[in-house]
Amino acid sequence: MQEERIQTDVLCIGGGIAGLMAAIRAAELGVKVVVVEKGNVLYSGCGRMGNDHFETYIPKVHGKDKDAWIEELLRTAKGEILIGKNLLRAQFQKAYDIVKLWHKWGIPMKYKRKWEFAGHSFPGRPMTHIKYEGRFQKKVLIRQAKKRGATILNRVMVYDLLKEGKKLVGAVGIHTREDKLLIFNAKAVLLGTGKCSRLYPSLTPGWMFNDGHGGTQTGDGRAMAYRAGAELQNLEMPQRHIGPKYFARFGQATWIGVVRDWDGKPAGNFVTKPDRRYGDMICEVNKLAPETYTQQGKGPLYMDCTEITPEDHDYMMHWMKNEGYPAMTQYMEQEGIDFRKHPIEFSTYPLRGGGLIVANENAETSLQGLYAAGDEAFGDISAAATFGYVGGENAAGYAEGIKLTQIKKSNLTIKKVKRLIDDIRGRENGPEWEETTIALQQTMLDYVGKVRNESLMKQGLAHLRFIRKKAEETIMAKNSHELGRSLEVLNMLEIGELTFLMALNRKETRGLHVRPDYPYTNPTLNQAHIIQNVKGKNVLGWKTY
Amino acid sequence: MPPVVNKEKCIKCNKCAEICSEDVFYGSQKGEFPTVTYPRECVHFNGCVSVCPAPGAISLRIPLPIQLVFKPEVDPL
Repeated sequence: MQEERIQTDVLCIGGGIAGLMAAIRAAELGVKVVVVEKGNVLYSGCGRMGNDHFETYIPKVHGKDKDAWIEELLRTAKGEILIGKNLLRAQFQKAYDIVKLWHKWGIPMKYKRKWEFAGHSFPGRPMTHIKYEGRFQKKVLIRQAKKRGATILNRVMVYDLLKEGKKLVGAVGIHTREDKLLIFNAKAVLLGTGKCSRLYPSLTPGWMFNDGHGGTQTGDGRAMAYRAGAELQNLEMPQRHIGPKYFARFGQATWIGVVRDWDGKPAGNFVTKPDRRYGDMICEVNKLAPETYTQQGKGPLYMDCTEITPEDHDYMMHWMKNEGYPAMTQYMEQEGIDFRKHPIEFSTYPLRGGGLIVANENAETSLQGLYAAGDEAFGDISAAATFGYVGGENAAGYAEGIKLTQIKKSNLTIKKVKRLIDDIRGRENGPEWEETTIALQQTMLDYVGKVRNESLMKQGLAHLRFIRKKAEETIMAKNSHELGRSLEVLNMLEIGELTFLMALNRKETRGLHVRPDYPYTNPTLNQAHIIQNVKGKNVLGWKTY
Repeated sequence: MPPVVNKEKCIKCNKCAEICSEDVFYGSQKGEFPTVTYPRECVHFNGCVSVCPAPGAISLRIPLPIQLVFKPEVDPL
């Protein structure tokens, strides 16, 4: 296989909002920056088709009571995320600066020349999110990164980080369109690789790429960070979303409607008619509502926009264009489905892999020289942009202060990765990535799914390990694209196994981690649950935030 | 087959293939009609439709499992 070696100061893995913001800031500070992206940066990551909500504190609007804004976020949008207040405080300090930068660069952060607050907030409470026109945000960020001299390489999937001794020295990956190995020698690395979206079956199990985050987020960053010895947190805490049934889309706060049952009765008590300022917060406080209604024999539930005013309809359509909905709205037009006439069924979306790479308010992970931002660390657009920028700044500072350590010819990780990909590409028979993913997803759903107990999870863990070993020994790929998909599923199998170990170790019921063998929430576990690979062994523990 | 290429309108620029993050068009060559090699990996985000410079040359066909569910205007009974 052909090999290419690339030297840089800062390597950003993943070209989403976090990776590009890191590249912009690091390159601005004068260091050499390379961004690698598995797909194409223009349409990669969660911000690929745009977003319309950005959480920020604006001094003129919110006044000086900073804690009120933080408390409100913990109560609402961030309520489900088990992170400390330090990160929120750091985001709070910086997000408004990022808002101003984005606006200057050409991402419209104002609506009709004013800050427009709407969505993700309760009637009578402080508003936390501004509306912004993010439809072309990736284009703008790419332009800013290139303007500062950052190099962007599309179709490169990094599989492993490289170390010499304890020192991080770069990463190794493949090109997904040609048989080529890429070896990056870098002083600092930032992971902005997103969540692990395909760990559990999708909303349409036979159609696994039907996902509101796209199909390329497969936990690559957390898998490579774990293998390199960095701490991961709370992988066992799954997430669930809510959105239109069968056509997976996030962004429920963009809808202006009331969640109602078949007979028109509202499911919540926040709004009784469509309200452009608040939407229906039942989607945020109880994402399980559609599933619960169905289980209780009261289903289905609809997002009912039929009473929307013409002005609010135009307003909603404007923001849907910015929140990645054009494919859905164009399809609706072709089919004659109209928000003004037809309540759209909403569904509780299936389980998604949770957790993150532990990173502090400087975006530093537990491994020196390794930074993480975006959904790999602490998600949503505002946090991705803020901690991407902060991570880029700190990675650049770190890189400037050290000399590049050369990668030795004898580097064992490179040898191991080469052998792995040669084996996968060399096989003529065996399971391909899709078959392997189905085996993984059904095991995750059945054994570490909605209800978990010790014996069930022990059986599931044993089966997953059996599948994983078989996959590692027999998975095959016909070309470089399928090789990338195969490496993705190997990463997901790794994250799946860690999810089992962490779920077994969390002996309580909390949020969507439901254990009838430990039915109560244990307040002494209001801590970060950590897993780390120490010399090949899994070490689990708890840390205060 | 989610992205559908209209060969009468396509100008073979392959911008769709260039930008698709899932690489649904893997193996496509500039100067030839784009090939939808991996239709099942389409995420229906419209990126290919948005970048296409030739109006109507590419569109998405939303597969049957992904059709929206909406309340019928008339009671089906």
